[in-house]
Amino acid sequence: MKFSELADKFEKLVNKTEQGKRIKPGKLNKLQQLLGDKKSRYQAKLDATNDPDKRRKLETRLRVVDAQLEKSKHLPVVE
Amino acid sequence: MLKKTLLPTILLILAYGFWISPDFKEIAAGVSIFLFGMLFLEDGFKAFTGGVLEKLLQKTTDKTWKSLLFGVVSTSIMQSSSLVSVITISFISAGLVTLVAGIGIIFGANIGTTTGAWLVAAFGLKVKISAYAMPMLVFGIVLSFQKSKYLKGAGAVLAGLGFLFLGIHYMKEGFEAFKDSFDLASLAVAGYPGLFLFAAIGAAATVVMQSSHATLVLILTALAASQITYDNGLALAIGANVGTTITAIIGALSANVEGKRLAGAHLIFNVVTGVVAIAFISQFIWAVDVVSNSVGIAADNYTMKLAVFHTLFNLAGVLIMVPLIHRLSGFLVKSLPEKAKDLAEPLYINEAALEFPETVLNSVKKEVWHLFDSAFEIMAHGINLHRTEILTSEDLKKTIAEDREIHEFDMDELYERKVKVLYGAIVDFISNAQSHIPSVFSEELFRLRKAAGEIVECVKHIKHLRKNTTKYMLSDNEHIRHEYNRLRYQIGLILKEIYRLRDEDEYDHALAVLEMDELKADIQTRHRELDVRVTEVLRDDLITPGMATSLLNDFNYVDEVSRHLLDTAQALMSSHVDLVAEAAQEVVLDEDEIEKASAA
Repeated sequence: MKFSELADKFEKLVNKTEQGKRIKPGKLNKLQQLLGDKKSRYQAKLDATNDPDKRRKLETRLRVVDAQLEKSKHLPVVE
Repeated sequence: MLKKTLLPTILLILAYGFWISPDFKEIAAGVSIFLFGMLFLEDGFKAFTGGVLEKLLQKTTDKTWKSLLFGVVSTSIMQSSSLVSVITISFISAGLVTLVAGIGIIFGANIGTTTGAWLVAAFGLKVKISAYAMPMLVFGIVLSFQKSKYLKGAGAVLAGLGFLFLGIHYMKEGFEAFKDSFDLASLAVAGYPGLFLFAAIGAAATVVMQSSHATLVLILTALAASQITYDNGLALAIGANVGTTITAIIGALSANVEGKRLAGAHLIFNVVTGVVAIAFISQFIWAVDVVSNSVGIAADNYTMKLAVFHTLFNLAGVLIMVPLIHRLSGFLVKSLPEKAKDLAEPLYINEAALEFPETVLNSVKKEVWHLFDSAFEIMAHGINLHRTEILTSEDLKKTIAEDREIHEFDMDELYERKVKVLYGAIVDFISNAQSHIPSVFSEELFRLRKAAGEIVECVKHIKHLRKNTTKYMLSDNEHIRHEYNRLRYQIGLILKEIYRLRDEDEYDHALAVLEMDELKADIQTRHRELDVRVTEVLRDDLITPGMATSLLNDFNYVDEVSRHLLDTAQALMSSHVDLVAEAAQEVVLDEDEIEKASAA
């Protein structure tokens, strides 16, 4: 094996490790759907309340779910 | 003393036997090769127990008929009820299957094991099986040199079968030659005493060889060589069925109480079946004749008739015992109670759990939850609350405000007894388990060990927190009392939420893992609110600077405890079986992301 081929293989291996686990598209869609449903539930609760304390809490939770949804879009997927 | 002398005695008897009879040597070598084949077979099947095992078990053992079928099929494939019972004990020890399901598997295994008699009776003694054994051995060994885990496994299975066949061949040859010099039939005694005598011989032979299958093959070959009569053969088969439970009992010695109960169920089933078979022997002989006639087995084909008998009496045993399965389980739970619960004693991690990667992971996960439960008690008392108050209170904030009872206890002593010992056992088990499992499982084991460490940290932080919490929750200054009650509430709420998410069956694992992030963000928000409040009450001279310093320091402890608890729960609720939950683990937010999301 040529050295360049070896280096190429090594690089692929490192990339694979750095990218972490690869997720199956079906499972990722399911996860995103669960998060989407949860976001809708929080949004509905937020729209239904005027209590500032509850609103603040719900807004925090919505931001967390949004961040998780965003993160899920960048997960490495099995090709 | 007996243990020390037993092995040399057996070796001496064997050596003497080899010296006086070359035929005995051939039979003994046949048995040894047969057992060697079983070892190979066991190793081979272990290679195929990848990530799907746990899922498969859950789906295939949730009803009695399913667990029965599982026992029948797995034993028919593996050709060893002893192996299936030992594996089931390790499943049950690790909490992968319930006791009732385990009993169902064992019952099924007793039917599955009869297929071996059919195979040997139908093919083993008629054809030159060594002709099949040799290629199997060669292919098996070539495959077992391969790097792939599955090829290695397939190789071990093939080689195992090859050795089994070769063993049968040698036993057959040995008996053929043996029949002229020794007559086992001379031991025959008429009537029930004879039946019991041969049943005892069958049980003893199985105990020595650790395989009812090997005994059965010996019986069939001896029967084919006219060494024993048909009646003797039946009694020997009954005895072999009872003797086989010894393997399960040995396997259960290193298992937890559930494993011991299962071995008890196996023994009860086989003894009851044996007694029924002996009591109704004439009816069974009649039934065997009827079945044999109807399927075209010749009246003098005793080897096939023995196979029919073996199946019939095991089927009868299952028919008698299945309706009693829940009562049997209840009886065993009552007769073999769990030891008075000293929470420090590991409940799930034991040698039997080291059998498979899944049992290792599952038992460690359960043990870490056990550690969590033990630590929960100490943490709750540490902040002067009862566990039940945290778990069942409708309005935890109100309960905390009203409950001013100080819990007197030695926290150091409890930590040493209930947390440190258990943590040490978990770390020790994980170190041992590393060499038993493939690297793909190591990551999860590492996560679980880290989770156990975080639980220990939580208890240590609560210890620091306890002094001021106890002091200020009784203070006349309502502002500082109120703030310390908030700290108690935060810890109580997180514990309550973790248990709610854990115990809610319908809740999705993936969402439970991710909900912890929301709780982490709540903590960040509370931290900021506390900073503002402390500044205000200090400015208005409502609390002293000393109180403010204590409060801010203690909040850091609460912060640490909360994070550790939530990280631990995330590790424990993630699952390598639920792939969506596994994906969720990758979406869990890091500290910076939580900070950003919590900022208004």
